[in-house]
Amino acid sequence: MPWRAPYLALSLALLVLGACQRDEPRQRVRISSSGANAGVPLLVPPGSQDTGFVGTTSAVHRPRPGRPPRILRAVDARASPGYDRITFEFTGDSLPGYHVEYTSGPVRRCGSGDPVAVTGAAKLLVRLEPAQAHDERGNATLTERDRTLGLPAARDLKLVCDVEGQVEWVLGVAVAGPYRVSELAGPARLVLDVRHGQ
Amino acid sequence: MRTGGHEFEPGLAGNPGPPARGQPSDEGRRARLTAGRCPGVAARATLLWVALVAACRAAPVEPCPAAGLAADRAPLVESTSRFDSAFAAAGAEFHVPPTVLKGIGWVETRWQMVEGAEEFAGRPPAFGVMALRGVALERGAALAGVTVAAARRDPVANIRAAAALLDAYAGEAAIDRSHSEPWSVVVARYSGIELAEGRATYGREVDRALGFAAARAAPAGTAAAPAACPPPPASGGAPDYASAVWRASPNFNQRPADSTGAMHIVIIHTCESNYTSCWSWLVNPASQASAHYVVNEDGSEASQLVLERDRAWHIAALYDCTLNRRHDCWLNGVQSNHFTVGVEHAGFVSQDSFPASQIEVSAALVCDVTRDRGIPRDWQHIVAHGQLQPGDRTDPGPHWPWIAYVHRVQARCGEVVVDDSAAFNDPALAAAAVPGTWTASDSTPDYYGGGYRWALTQPGATDGAVFSFRLAAAGPRTLDARWTSGTNRSSRAAYAVITVAGDTLAVVRQDQTTGGGRWHTLGTWTFPAGWNRVVLLQRDVSGAVVVADALRVRE
Repeated sequence: MPWRAPYLALSLALLVLGACQRDEPRQRVRISSSGANAGVPLLVPPGSQDTGFVGTTSAVHRPRPGRPPRILRAVDARASPGYDRITFEFTGDSLPGYHVEYTSGPVRRCGSGDPVAVTGAAKLLVRLEPAQAHDERGNATLTERDRTLGLPAARDLKLVCDVEGQVEWVLGVAVAGPYRVSELAGPARLVLDVRHGQ
Repeated sequence: MRTGGHEFEPGLAGNPGPPARGQPSDEGRRARLTAGRCPGVAARATLLWVALVAACRAAPVEPCPAAGLAADRAPLVESTSRFDSAFAAAGAEFHVPPTVLKGIGWVETRWQMVEGAEEFAGRPPAFGVMALRGVALERGAALAGVTVAAARRDPVANIRAAAALLDAYAGEAAIDRSHSEPWSVVVARYSGIELAEGRATYGREVDRALGFAAARAAPAGTAAAPAACPPPPASGGAPDYASAVWRASPNFNQRPADSTGAMHIVIIHTCESNYTSCWSWLVNPASQASAHYVVNEDGSEASQLVLERDRAWHIAALYDCTLNRRHDCWLNGVQSNHFTVGVEHAGFVSQDSFPASQIEVSAALVCDVTRDRGIPRDWQHIVAHGQLQPGDRTDPGPHWPWIAYVHRVQARCGEVVVDDSAAFNDPALAAAAVPGTWTASDSTPDYYGGGYRWALTQPGATDGAVFSFRLAAAGPRTLDARWTSGTNRSSRAAYAVITVAGDTLAVVRQDQTTGGGRWHTLGTWTFPAGWNRVVLLQRDVSGAVVVADALRVRE
């Protein structure tokens, strides 16, 4: 019987005291961080070369209540012929709900309330819920949280909220042109395409 | 996520029933927990270890240092987990102390299977009673010889996968299992926490669970297995609320020096996560968010992250008084962090209820904040995040017990309020009877509760609005009245103070043309036990409005 009481007591004491030791090995649980998928080609959906998609300039709203929050692990932005594509990649195979909308009002960080400026003539809000861009231990899963994209349509991408199960981005776009939102699986991704020009 | 586990499937041995005969009482367990002696053992020569062991050896029967909030609170865990047989079997199979498994399971999920397993086929944040996640789950499953799917959904497979993973970690750390070795290293790795303090907290939480389990397991009439000394403070000593743990967040700035920076509203939040995840993230500069306080799931710990005098970052909204009973409309458009205190609570908008122990500790905290800062304890000054920011927030959600919560805040501060409406009263302590001829209104702001009642004075009126309060024992109380003011109000509204025996102690006149929305002291009297009352009289020279809003009774 290997787990006698004295042994247990000793183990417990060591367990606690050792938690404060400085030389313990660390396990990194960060799933993806800097580079945000750089160099890893993303799958593109059929029809992704559809440069003439109609899209919309109205709000796209797809709620998915529930929990736990989906963890956002990578964001990729790149230009395609006719449009720019922003891809939000999550751990697991399920997406959070989302709300995408052009906004004319000021955009604020959800914690401090400080206004956030982006370049471009229009601001496209992308709200993901329930979602978080950090893990269960308070470590960010994305390090690039304010990004200058410099793409034909998509200029800036800034994370303005990552708390209380809500992640919100503001995308600075050159003009308030049509966009479309699609969902991809394996891994779960939310794809935002913004058309170039008018 | 962690609080919403489904019930454990039948079939796995586990006894959630009452404690076996002869097991120590709750009181006995608490005593042992707080007075557990440290084991006299040789230990690895870390400074902390040496210091603590030396301290414990020097005073072998002295209690370990009290662990802040937890020291005088009920134990965290129940005696028997539904998963005990699985912990025991997996521990034996993989040579991991079952109590380590049990402790981790408590800290991670409170021994619940994390819900949503079928929804996720990829890389979820956490699964099962052991909250296995990502590559750790996959590795543990492989080591245990179970499928990943089983390790997610099946409690036995989940616990075996965790045990196999701990076994591997122990092996990689070259632990000699024939002797007592620091399983803490293994547990710390399992936690996946990068932040040193977070790892320490995790270890402390596991220890609390284990210490309890050890005490509970002791046979009747014998000394409890000695619990480990709690680690040195992190516990207690926060600057504005001594019971809280101080975990300073960098995410704050200064409140404005002008009147917009005067704190006078407390905002109630839920984290949408567990406690450790919540505060760990809010002290990370990357979050760009914070709160002044975070209260854990069962109220056994609270953290202060930002000084109350500083501006924490917990609400995006600009203030809009139409969302707050048209209170303080002069603040419209002002950023709400300027003048608010933010209190986060571990948990979720979607949970069905909040533990009474969490509500109680939160109430004690908010009493302290409101007392120190002169903030009224009512529904304009203790408000939901979702109320002030309805566009994209709902926390703390529909199941936050608002009426009872504010009553607890008031009770903690030694006061009971009698509203004109029963909906806002604790019927055991407060009741109002307002004649039906009085008109209900909320057109003038700064009332208590949901509105107020008013009537025109008449020389021949024979009744009035009665505010009754029950005292369990005779004693002195100070009474305050509240109204909404206006030029049409009575400048000499009469409040008759009457005991349960029918003795009129005083008739106090108040000018209701001014001072609306604030408490005005009527006086202090000694009342007998039972239902005493104050009657706002309608009888007076005709033509003025008397407003019956609320009565406050304080010790």
